[in-house]
Amino acid sequence: MSPLVVTLWLLNVTLDTVGQLAFKAAASDPRAGDGLARWRYMASRPWIWVGLISYVAEFLVWIAFLSLIDLSQGVLLGSINIVVVMIAGRILFREKLTPLRVTGILLVTAGVAIVGIAGAG
Amino acid sequence: MSTDRMTRGKSFYFFGFLILVAFDTVVQLSFKYAGNHAFPPEANWAWIVRVFGHPWIYLAVIGYVGNFFTWMTLLKHAPIGPAFAVTHLEVVSVMLFSVWLFQEPLTWPKVIGASVIVVGIICLAFAESGAHPEGDAPTEAKGALGVAAGN
Repeated sequence: MSPLVVTLWLLNVTLDTVGQLAFKAAASDPRAGDGLARWRYMASRPWIWVGLISYVAEFLVWIAFLSLIDLSQGVLLGSINIVVVMIAGRILFREKLTPLRVTGILLVTAGVAIVGIAGAG
Repeated sequence: MSTDRMTRGKSFYFFGFLILVAFDTVVQLSFKYAGNHAFPPEANWAWIVRVFGHPWIYLAVIGYVGNFFTWMTLLKHAPIGPAFAVTHLEVVSVMLFSVWLFQEPLTWPKVIGASVIVVGIICLAFAESGAHPEGDAPTEAKGALGVAAGN
């Protein structure tokens, strides 16, 4: 892999993780309340916007990434995002990592990686 | 808040993730159709006009919007780590639709990968039903940044 591909890959992992955690921070804020008021509150706070900007940036990075490698390779490399988001959720939101949860998350990661490898074959 | 929590049972997450994956699938398939209708891809204005000249790209946008609102609703209580993993059911649905709609080959390695994803999601479903007994809110829901979440 060229340095540019590695850079785009790392950017993709970072933006995906930041975006997902920002959405989680926005969505789970207990002060937001319910119904329409919840959406108004979320829109008035920075997290949802951090999430949306990360998504747009990630989309552009992904397109650039896919212009350099195959989609199947992209799917394979992208599977690592699942593990990074799991670890970030543990650190930032104190999410419990029970054996069954870790098993499930790692199986999904492995499955996505297998699909990526299968597409390349 | 408490009444809101009590209505969020297993069926809420089952149908919530089902709707989310449906939106995800619509987005991916629409992108494929949008690209096909605008073929060949070119780095010019004419290609952009072709892309936006067919309804598919607008269906993709609708899918994105639906996906966003569904995801933000699910994330109110769902822990991000397992929830993000479950969204990858999209990989399986897009694969199956691609076989049907685009005649893409369904090989054994793909079937094995898809099966492993499904088994992982079944594990997560069991993990969540075991972790939160009835009427018990997820620990993760207590603090927006993990402030009050116990372990």
